[in-house]
Amino acid sequence: MSAQLQPASNTEAPADIVPQSEKPLGPWRLTWNKFKRNPFAMSGLVVLFLFIVAAVAAPWLSPYDPARQDLLSANLRPFTGDHVLGTDELGRDIFSRIVYSGRISLTIGFAVAAVAVIIGSIIGAISGYFGGWADIIFMRIVDVMNSVPTLFLNILIGAIFGTNFLLMIMILSLTSWMGVARLVRGNFLQLREMQYVEAAKSIGVSSWGIIFRHLLRNASFPIIVNATLMVGGAILAESGLSYLGLGIQPPDTSWGMMLSNAQEFMLIDPMQAVYPGVCIFLVVLSVNFIGDGIRDAMDPRQKAQLSPRRLDQWRAKFSKSTK
Amino acid sequence: MGEYLIRRTLQSVVVLFLISVFTFGLIHAAPGGPTQIFLSPGLSVEAGQIKAEQLGLNDPLPQQYFRWLGNILTGDLGATFKNNIPVGDILWPTVKNSVILMSVTWILTLLIAIPWGVYNSTKEYGLSDQTASFISYVGFAMPTFWFGIILQSTISIKLDWLPLSDMYTIGKQGDIPDLLMHMVLPVSVLTLISLAGYQKYMRSSMLEVLQQDYIRTARAKGVKENKVVFRHAWRNALIPLITLIGLDLPMLVGGAALTEKVFNWPGMGSLFVDMAMAREYSVLMAITLLSAVFVVIGNLIADILYAAVDPRVQLGKGGK
Repeated sequence: MSAQLQPASNTEAPADIVPQSEKPLGPWRLTWNKFKRNPFAMSGLVVLFLFIVAAVAAPWLSPYDPARQDLLSANLRPFTGDHVLGTDELGRDIFSRIVYSGRISLTIGFAVAAVAVIIGSIIGAISGYFGGWADIIFMRIVDVMNSVPTLFLNILIGAIFGTNFLLMIMILSLTSWMGVARLVRGNFLQLREMQYVEAAKSIGVSSWGIIFRHLLRNASFPIIVNATLMVGGAILAESGLSYLGLGIQPPDTSWGMMLSNAQEFMLIDPMQAVYPGVCIFLVVLSVNFIGDGIRDAMDPRQKAQLSPRRLDQWRAKFSKSTK
Repeated sequence: MGEYLIRRTLQSVVVLFLISVFTFGLIHAAPGGPTQIFLSPGLSVEAGQIKAEQLGLNDPLPQQYFRWLGNILTGDLGATFKNNIPVGDILWPTVKNSVILMSVTWILTLLIAIPWGVYNSTKEYGLSDQTASFISYVGFAMPTFWFGIILQSTISIKLDWLPLSDMYTIGKQGDIPDLLMHMVLPVSVLTLISLAGYQKYMRSSMLEVLQQDYIRTARAKGVKENKVVFRHAWRNALIPLITLIGLDLPMLVGGAALTEKVFNWPGMGSLFVDMAMAREYSVLMAITLLSAVFVVIGNLIADILYAAVDPRVQLGKGGK
């Protein structure tokens, strides 16, 4: 709209008398500017980026095939030969396994968050916008799914349908969309009463047009925050299931699977349990920091982040100087 | 209140009914149907058909469902496929073990989290508050079972202070001091994980109450700060926590599965995992249903307590 108005105002007032106003920053740019200033969120972003690079470059980074067994060089200490982190009881190179596990864990984390957000948004949008029977049915389904502990639900579905890589993504997303659905529904209940919705309706925009073009975009901030935090949850859930032997199956490998292996051989090499755990911890911590950072950056009420103590110091200084 | 109670209970019954349909449907949606999974692969086709006929697996689905539901309601949870042991005989002892573990954890968590949260709310951004928020970040990002494994390898194996796993040392069944020794590690894992959340919740609830007008009034008329916190603020800040406790009741049962597995604690969670490996569907269905009952009852109790504790809450009027 501003692009249409600007030429008209330019002809009336020359640019040197009234300085042309800068184009205001968009909401995404504003969010990024605030996000940049959050040290926790930025360090999370850096760490996560390193893990993603390692996962993408796994074939070049890892000196060995992660599934290659070599019983002659089993249980090597770290830094023997080119086994940076040593080998496990079957002589598999631990560093290579960590890198390849990262591929699987990260893919599952992001894929599950994406699929769950899509399912949850669609169901939440239908419930919130149309209401009525669709709402009642969907919300009862949410109630039912929420009533069974998620871990049990994951195990149950996994035990019935089996667990390979793609099934794991499907199972985990099928058991984690409920939060998003509730969130989107709640947002839609508010947003559908807005005047722009009424305006869109009056010029004949279809219901789906309103949902996708107007409402989902307006509800996107909380959805994004929720999706980010869900990545960490999915990685933790995957590692738990794989630890129990009900997740990723060999020859694939994941951090959770490595941990269950490490527990068996704890007496021989306790350090084996440390590496995969630290990886899970770092990735989930970074994702959570990023999620919190995005939430803080997107919250319009939080203009400046000052701790009350800093604020008090500042006030004290200010009142002294005015005296 | 009475009307609300009835409506809420009826709703819970409906949800429970739907859960039973869902669980039953899930098992029967398995590729090849339950016949395929239930029967051991070594069985011949004829023997398999006879067994399926005995178990009533060839009847129409609704008939099977209502027979199963009827059995459950009369307390008959079915039997395992492998050795035909009644499910109840396996399930109830593990439920007892889980409850022992979880109740100790829970009491400990609340005993630490509530005072700590109250303290942190009075000293915002102090050292203790920062520590708590650090613990909460770590607790949310760390896999529970990994923490358990690390504790095992340091405290049990390297230092040899506490037993590695299980509930009793062999031959010391029912010995209370022995049980307590075995409980230290799993309880500390579970407590540390849930501590952060409760502390944070208590703290923010306190901060909100401390902003209320009646707190300002109390301070204005010269009530001592200790008294303001403990007589006026603390009690009101507890109310939202009740909801959280009700909602968390089931999460603790399910969330403990991994910890139980790490420490080989013979509880409901580890039974579920073992039975999932053995494909004993009658046990899985029973545990799923039982945990769902926990959840629904937990929610119901939370709602009722919420109204009972806080007279300002008017259930069933306005709100949603």
